[in-house]
Amino acid sequence: MGFVQFKGVTKTFGKSVAVDTMDLDIARGEFFSLLGPSGCGKSTTLRMLAGFVAPSTGSIHVHGRDITRLPPEARDIGIVFQNYAIFPHMTVFDNIAFGLVERGENRADIKRKVDAALDQVGLGGFGERFERQLSGGQKQRVALARVLVIEPEILLLDEPLSALDKKMREEMKFWIKNIQKSVGITTIYVTHDQSEALTMSDRIAVMNQGRILQVGSPVEIYERPNSRFIAEFIGESNLLSGRLTAGGVRVGDTVVPAAQAQGADGAEVALLIRPEQIRLEPVTEGEAPMLTGRVADEVYQGALRRYQVETGGQTVTVEVPNRPDLAQLPPGAEVALYWTPESGVALR
Amino acid sequence: MTERRIPLVLAILAILGFAYMLLPIVVVVLAGLTAGEFLTFPPQGLSLRWVAAFLSSEKYLSSFFFSFKLALMTMIVSTILGTAAALFLSRTNMVGRAAMRAFFLSPVVLPGVVVGFALFAFYISTGIGLSRTIWGLWIGHILYSTPYVIGTVGAALAAYDTSLEEAARSLGASPWRAFRKVTLPNISQGIQAGSIFAFIVSFGQFEVSLFLSSPNSEPLPIAMYNSLRYQFDPSAAAAGIFAITLVIASVLLTNRLVNLRTLLERRQDGS
Ligand SMILES: Nc1ncnc2c1ncn2[C@@H]1O[C@H](COP(=O)(O)OP(=O)(O)O)[C@@H](O)[C@H]1O
Ligand SMILES: [Mg+2]
Repeated sequence: MGFVQFKGVTKTFGKSVAVDTMDLDIARGEFFSLLGPSGCGKSTTLRMLAGFVAPSTGSIHVHGRDITRLPPEARDIGIVFQNYAIFPHMTVFDNIAFGLVERGENRADIKRKVDAALDQVGLGGFGERFERQLSGGQKQRVALARVLVIEPEILLLDEPLSALDKKMREEMKFWIKNIQKSVGITTIYVTHDQSEALTMSDRIAVMNQGRILQVGSPVEIYERPNSRFIAEFIGESNLLSGRLTAGGVRVGDTVVPAAQAQGADGAEVALLIRPEQIRLEPVTEGEAPMLTGRVADEVYQGALRRYQVETGGQTVTVEVPNRPDLAQLPPGAEVALYWTPESGVALR
Repeated sequence: MTERRIPLVLAILAILGFAYMLLPIVVVVLAGLTAGEFLTFPPQGLSLRWVAAFLSSEKYLSSFFFSFKLALMTMIVSTILGTAAALFLSRTNMVGRAAMRAFFLSPVVLPGVVVGFALFAFYISTGIGLSRTIWGLWIGHILYSTPYVIGTVGAALAAYDTSLEEAARSLGASPWRAFRKVTLPNISQGIQAGSIFAFIVSFGQFEVSLFLSSPNSEPLPIAMYNSLRYQFDPSAAAAGIFAITLVIASVLLTNRLVNLRTLLERRQDGS
C-alpha cells in the first residue's frame, strides 16, 4: 500500500477541470515527480496534498489515514514554493525557526536546530540576513532548510528551480537530490522540465490536462512511453508513421521490429526511435539495416552532428557523436540506419 | 548633458498645480496671523493675537478636542472594519464580489449631504436615540472613513503574496497565527496609511457632521462654519491653522515611522 495515496481525486474550478479523477500511489522515501506542461494541474495536485485547496471529489491518504479534510498545519507536510515564499520581514534565522516556534520548542533547542539546518544547507553565518540580501540559490536553500528543520513526513517542491539561471539549476538539481537521499524524506517534485524529472526521480508521473498518462521509472518513461504525447514531451523523438504487422511495424516497404507492437493487424501507429539511438553508416553489402535513406541536411553542434535523413517520404533525425573514427556523411549521401530492435517502440 | 529634462510645459503645469493646491492653505494661514480686526486677505500686518484668541476660546478648544477624540475613535473602528472588509474582499471568490466592493466603497462617491441626511432621517424616524449624540455622529464618520481604509489595505493585499501565509500554515501556524505573524506585518504599511486617512477624513468631515452634531458638542469644522456665519472673525482662520498643522503632523508622523523602519533595516544589513 502506498504511503501517499490519491483516490479518485478531482478538482474543478467553476467549469474547468484542473485535476481529473487522479489515482496515485507513492511509496515511503520515494522521490516522485509530477511532470507535465504548464497548466496541466501539477500545482493543484500539490496544493491539495498540502491542504491549501480541497478536492472537489475523492480522498487523499497518508499512512493509511484520510487527510482530505485536515487543515495544512495538521498535516506534517513541508512545501517549498516556486518563489520560495521567504518571510520578508524576518531574518533567515527567524524564517527557519518559524515552524519550531509554532511547535512550542524551547529557545535552546531552536537555536541548535536552526544552526544545524543552516550548516546542512551550506548557509552557516547567514542567519541575520534578510530575504532581499540573498541570491536566488540562497533563497532556495533557506526555503528548504525552513521545511527540513521541522522534519515533516513529506516534502513538496513546486518547480523549485524555475527561477534560477541555467548553471545554478544544474548545480541545485544534484544538491536537492543529495539532500533528499541523505534525509530519506518522501518527496514529491513538480516540474515541467523533463531533464529535471529524469535526473532526480525514482518514479515519474507524466500529466496532461489534469490526467496522469503514465507512471514509471525514468528509464521506463523515456524508453517505453505509452503515448505519442509522452514520447514528444520527453526528450527528442522520431515518430515514423506506419502500420502494425506481424513482428513489428511496416514503415513504407520495410518491416521494422518494435516493442509494444500489440493490436489489430494494419492499425495505424507511430514508430518511436530516439535520435541518439540510431547508428548511421554508408550503404554496404553487410548487415541489413533497419531503414535506408539519403542525407538531407547536416548540422555541426560541437559534441555531436545532427543529420536529417529522408526515408520513404519521412524525415528521421539522427544524432551522431563527434568522433573522428565515425564517417562523415555529406548531404546527398545514401545511408543505412541501424538500431537495436529494443530501441523501436510502437505508439498509437 | 545626460540629465533628464522635464519639458517646460509640464514644469509650468506642475507649478500651477502646486500653487492651486497650496494657495488656500497660504490664505488661511496668513489670514489667521493677521493683526487686524477682520478676516481679510492680504492680512493687515502679522501678529499672533488671533492664535491667542483661539487658544483662549473655550468654544474652539473644546470643539478642537472633540474633533480630535471623534477622529481617534473613528480611526480605530474604521481601521478594524476596513481591514477586515479588505481581507474578505481579497480572499473570497464569491459571485458578486465586484459589486460588493463597489458597495463598500460607495460612501466615498456619495455626496456627504446624502449620507448625513439619510442617517439623520434614520435616527429620527426610528427613534433609537442616536440623533444629535456623539455615538450617532461616530457611526456617520465611521461610514464615511472606512472606505479609505478598504482602499489602502486592499492595495497592500493586492501586492501581498499569499504563498507567504500558506507557507506559515504548512509550517504549523493556525489561521490566526499565520495572519498575525506573517500577513499582518506585510500589510501593516497599508493599514497605517489607511488609519491616517481615516483620521484626517474624520477630522475634516463637514456635511455628515452638519446633520448629526449637536450644538453643545460641535466638531471643529462645524464650529468654524457657525462662527463665521455670525461674525467674520479671524479666530476661525487661526483654528484652521491648528487643523492644518495637525493633519500635516500626522502625515509626517507616518512618513517618519515608515522611513525609520526602512532606516533600521538598512542598518541591520551591515552592508
Ligand atoms: N485558484 C484557481 N482558480 C481557478 N482556476 C485555477 C486555480 N488554480 C488553478 N487553476 C486552473 O487549473 C489548471 C491547472 O493549474 P495548475 O495546477 O496551476 O497547473 P500547473 O501547475 O501544472 O501549471 C489551470 O488551467 C489553471 O488555470
Ligand atoms: Mg504550477
